[in-house]
This record gives sequence, C-alpha cells and structure tokens, in this order.
Amino acid sequence: MLTFPQKITVMCFAASYGVAFSLELWHLLRPRPILRYVALGISGAGLFAHIAYLTVQDLPLGSPSGALLFVAFILAVFYVGEAIHHGRIAWGLFVLPLVLGLIGLGVLVHNPNPAASWQSYWGVTHGALLLLAAVGVSIGFIASVMYLVQLRRLQAKLPPGQGLSLFSLERLEQMNRRAILWAFPLLTAGLLSGFALQIYNDVLLADWFNPRILSVIGLWLVFAILLYLRYRVHVRGRQMAWWTMIAFVILVIALVFPHPFDGGAMP
Amino acid sequence: MNLLCVGGSFKTMPIELREKLAFDGPKLPAALNELASRYGCESAIVSTCNRVEIYVARAGAPTAPDAELIAEFIAQFHDVRYDQIRASMYTRTNDAAAAHLFRVTSSLDSLIVGEGQIAGQVKKAYEAAHVAGSAGVVLHALFQQALAVAKRVRTQTGISHGHVSVSSVAVDYVRQVHHHFGDKTILVIGAGKMGVLTLKHLRELKPERILVANRSPEKAQAVAQECGGTAIAWEQLDDALVEADIVLSTTGAPEPIMPRRRFDAILARRSRGTMVILDIAVPRDFDPRIHDGDRACLFNVDDLKRIQEQTIQERQQHIQPAEAIIEQEVKRFLNDWRRKKNGPIIAQLTQEFERERQRIVTELFAKMNGKLSEEEKKHIEGAFKLLQNRFLHGPISVLAEDTPEPTQHNLLDALRKLFRLER
Repeated sequence: MLTFPQKITVMCFAASYGVAFSLELWHLLRPRPILRYVALGISGAGLFAHIAYLTVQDLPLGSPSGALLFVAFILAVFYVGEAIHHGRIAWGLFVLPLVLGLIGLGVLVHNPNPAASWQSYWGVTHGALLLLAAVGVSIGFIASVMYLVQLRRLQAKLPPGQGLSLFSLERLEQMNRRAILWAFPLLTAGLLSGFALQIYNDVLLADWFNPRILSVIGLWLVFAILLYLRYRVHVRGRQMAWWTMIAFVILVIALVFPHPFDGGAMP
Repeated sequence: MNLLCVGGSFKTMPIELREKLAFDGPKLPAALNELASRYGCESAIVSTCNRVEIYVARAGAPTAPDAELIAEFIAQFHDVRYDQIRASMYTRTNDAAAAHLFRVTSSLDSLIVGEGQIAGQVKKAYEAAHVAGSAGVVLHALFQQALAVAKRVRTQTGISHGHVSVSSVAVDYVRQVHHHFGDKTILVIGAGKMGVLTLKHLRELKPERILVANRSPEKAQAVAQECGGTAIAWEQLDDALVEADIVLSTTGAPEPIMPRRRFDAILARRSRGTMVILDIAVPRDFDPRIHDGDRACLFNVDDLKRIQEQTIQERQQHIQPAEAIIEQEVKRFLNDWRRKKNGPIIAQLTQEFERERQRIVTELFAKMNGKLSEEEKKHIEGAFKLLQNRFLHGPISVLAEDTPEPTQHNLLDALRKLFRLER
C-alpha cells in the first residue's frame, strides 16, 4: 500500500502553483491583500508536495526530468521567499509561469528508466554545479523579464503605482547582474568538471555534438559575452536583459536533452 | 446612541468662513470643555482647512443634543453672527452621522478623493477628545471604528493609489528608475518656482550631490545655497549632464536648450545608468524625442499633469466599492452598538427567567418525589425551557430590531418596569 508521500504526483504541486498564479492574476485585476496571502499559503503547500515528490520518487537530478523539477523547486522557494520579503512586488506573475513551464517540460521529457549518472565524485560535482548555475540563470531571466516590463511601462509613461508593482530599473539590473555573477563561475566550474567526468569515464571529447554538451558550451559563451558587454563595453539595461534571456533559452535546451551518461549518446 | 454631527466643509462653506471657525491650538480643548459643561454630552471636533465638524453624543439620554444649539455654540465661540453661518452648516444624526464620519475619514468627502492626510487629522481630533476627557462610550467606539474603516477602504480599494501633486508624481517616476540615491547626482537647470518645489521633494531622496546650472551665475549660486548644492557654470552644462542621474529643468528659455543631436552626443559620453529628466519648464527645455525609457526617461509638465489627472480619475472608479464598505461598516457599527447597549438588559432578563424556571421545576420535582421517572423529568424540564425561550423570544427580537432612538429608549424602560428589572 502506498504511503501518503508516495501518493503525491506532479499534478499536486503543479495545481498548487497554478492556483497561486490565478490568484496573483486576480490580485492584479482587483487588488486584495488576502489574495496574495492565500496564493502564498497555497504555494507553501505546493512546495511541501514538491519536495516530498522529489524525495520519495528519488529522481536522478542528472536526468532532464529531475533537473527541470529541481530547478522549478528552487524557483518556487525563491518566489515564496521574495513574496514574503517584498510582498508589494508581483513576483508570482513572473516566477510561477516559469515554475509551471519547467514542471511541464519535466513531465514531457520524463524518462521512466534513467541511468544512474551521478555515482562518481566528478559526476556529482558536475551535476550540482550546473544545477546551481541553472538557478542563477533562471533568476537572471526573471529579473530580465521584469526589467523589460518595467522599461515598457516607462517608455509608455504609465502612471507609477498603478497596475503591476515592480522594482526600479536599477534594482532589477542589479538583481540580474548578481545572478550572472553567481552563475558564471558555477557554470565554468561545471563545464570543467564535465571534462573531468569525461576523463574519468575515459571518453574525453568523444561526443562533441551531443546537444547537451553543445548547449552548455553555448551557454558559457553567451555568459562570457554578457560579462564582456557589461564590464568592458559598459552595455547596460535592455541589451543585458535580452542576452540573459537568450542564455536562459539555451539553458532550457541544455536541461531538456539527456546527459551523455544518462541515456544520451555515450555508452 | 443619540449621535449628532454639526458642521460645514469646503462644499458648503467659503474658505474665509472656514478660517474663522477653525478650532486650532488652545481653542480645541477649550471648546471641548465648554461643550461638556454646557450640554453634558460627549464631544469631538474635527477641524481641518477643509472642514469644521462637531460630533456630540449622549449615550443614556432619550434625545441627542439640539443641533441648533451646537451650531449656535460654534458661532458664539468664534464671535461670528449665527445667521452668517446658519446656511452653510449641515446636520447629521445617528446612523447618518456615523456614515458621514466614516466617509470623511476614508477621504471620500475630501477635496481630492483618496488623499491620505484626513485619516491622520481625524485621529488627532479623536486623541484631543480623549485627552480632554470629552470622548465617552459612543465617540470612542465611533472614532475607533472610523479609523479602522478608513484603513479597510485604503487597503481593499485603490482609492489612495498614486500621487496627485506634480512634484510627488515626478518623484514617483524617479523611484521607478533608481533605487539607491546615495550615489546619485541631481542636476538642476534654471530656477523656476515649480522647480524649487520639486527639488524639495527630490532632496528628501538624499542624493550624493546637487549641481545647479543657470545662465545667471548669481541665480545659480542662490539656488545652490538654498538646496545645499554646488553651482556650476552654464558652459559646463553638457559635462554635468554626462554625470547626472536625475535632471530637473525649469528654465524660462523661449527655445529648447537641449535639442536631440546635442543630447545624443552627451549620451555617447555617458557610462552611467538611465537618466531621468523632469522637464517642467514651459516652453519645454528638452526635445521630447530623447525619451526612450532606457537610456533617458523624459517627463515634461504635460506628462506629469496627465498622470495627476489619470490618478484622480482612477480613484473615482473606487468610490463605489468604498461606499459599499462604508454602508456595511455603518450597519456593523449600529448592530455592535445595539448589542453593547441592550446586552446587559437581555442578560438580566434571561438570568431572571432562568432562575425562576429552575426554582419552579425544583419545587415541582420535590412535590412529585418518587412518582416521576428520569425520562419524564427530562420532558418536563424541556417543556419549561421551551416555554421560557418562546416567552423571551418576542422582547429580545424587538430589542434587536432597528428602531428609532426614542422608541428604543421607551422599550427598554417598559421592559425594565414590566419585568421588574433593576437598573
């Protein structure tokens, strides 16, 4: 007989986040603080179900499905934390669709029999570093979307304090910059540990055209361009936001494709 | 509750009269004391630049103080002829008076609907009445509820969203772009009157430095001295714009001082973030085409006034939901008040009947000793209880009904006499 945590399905937490998102939308149309509190409560319940699912199902975090659900979980934690600290800001409208999208992708690419790829030291290091970098990229993406929306509001000279409540451009840019500065070293270390993992498996540079490897390298290159633009050319604001969004799309591609050691191209 | 409100506001009274009738400084406690000693009632006075209102109440008495007398008191207190103010005064009683105070405190009766000051002014009026000892059981409940209602209206409707003064709107825009101000430079160009007011608001952001540029070095020096800034030469304007994060332009120049081409050259030299330009000069100082929302956000007087008007219009949409809240809260206030007032007498009546019923049932059981089974005893006890409840239902329901004050008072008196209840 199944125990209570074993009965938890993806639908349980996805539905919680979905309801919370609907409440946030409702709050946007008819502002009522209670809607925010209820959304927060429901998201909290969703988080509980989410972590229970990840723990009980024992999904390998190296698999696309496991990685996507894990990043979605961290972003849901980020939403709850930020909604408590900066309750005025419409976090739910930006973070929850992303969380739901990642969960949806996680379900789509689910492989019921993934190979265990994280058994070696290098495997664990590589996977953990890339997942942490993915969290940074996702937060940078959220900050970038918010930045572009705020920019659009300013371009249209919409009344401040009406409709969406967002941070200032400066603060959103700062948030994006911090996320990039957090993600880049992790991504670099993750990439290097990936090479170490290949050496460990004695297949160094055996499959350069694996989409996952290519997209992680592409992601690293985009980040290098981002940092160059920011600190050398002093590009700011809108362009930085677009580059971060490109980085996020590449990240999603990297996460969706199976790892070379997880049913991918390599044996 | 015998509540009465007598007063006048900007809607009924010219400013000259409102100024004469203001209860400011030591006049306020003196008037509160005078009201208590003359009419033996609770009193509170809401006196702002837009209204003068006296709230009086007599909780236990059959009638409220006379409205004419209170209006006469206002005239007499300020040495104004009564016939001079009579036509501009209004009177509200009981539930209408409560609703009026709730509307006033929630800023629905203000010159600018949704303005935030009035709730604080009502709070001060209540505190003054509390300190003077003139607020009693009715006014304590009324004012406390009024402040709670105002908070509910403010949080549950968008009535107080946005700012309605041009300088506040300007600062709101600046806050949409910048977060930290300790490292920001404000550049003031010109020395217009409107600019000085806006600069006052901007200074509250505590910027790192304020630069002042003016064609006249003396004027630049004067403005810089006033705002704690640094005067710069007019020729250094472009260099200052390269360094500036917030620009406040208020020159009286007949032509724009900053055409697009000149500004593009400045932008090319900048490495700082978005520049916010508040161009409140008429005619405008900056070419409007420089606004891109990314590198430069330009807001001119028309933009700021448009936002001001939009905000006021937006607030109008929230009046109806706010009125619904007030209607609900007035009902709640009256019900609470009735419960509070009639509660002791209902409790006394119920206890009296309960005691009598228990005495009769105990005596009956004693007489029938041994002849009744436990079940029969239960039936008899239940029947007596039912009789008691049915008997009390009528009077208790009548007390809970929404009856006018004199009738309500007579009912309570009758109840006390009929059932021989002690006061």
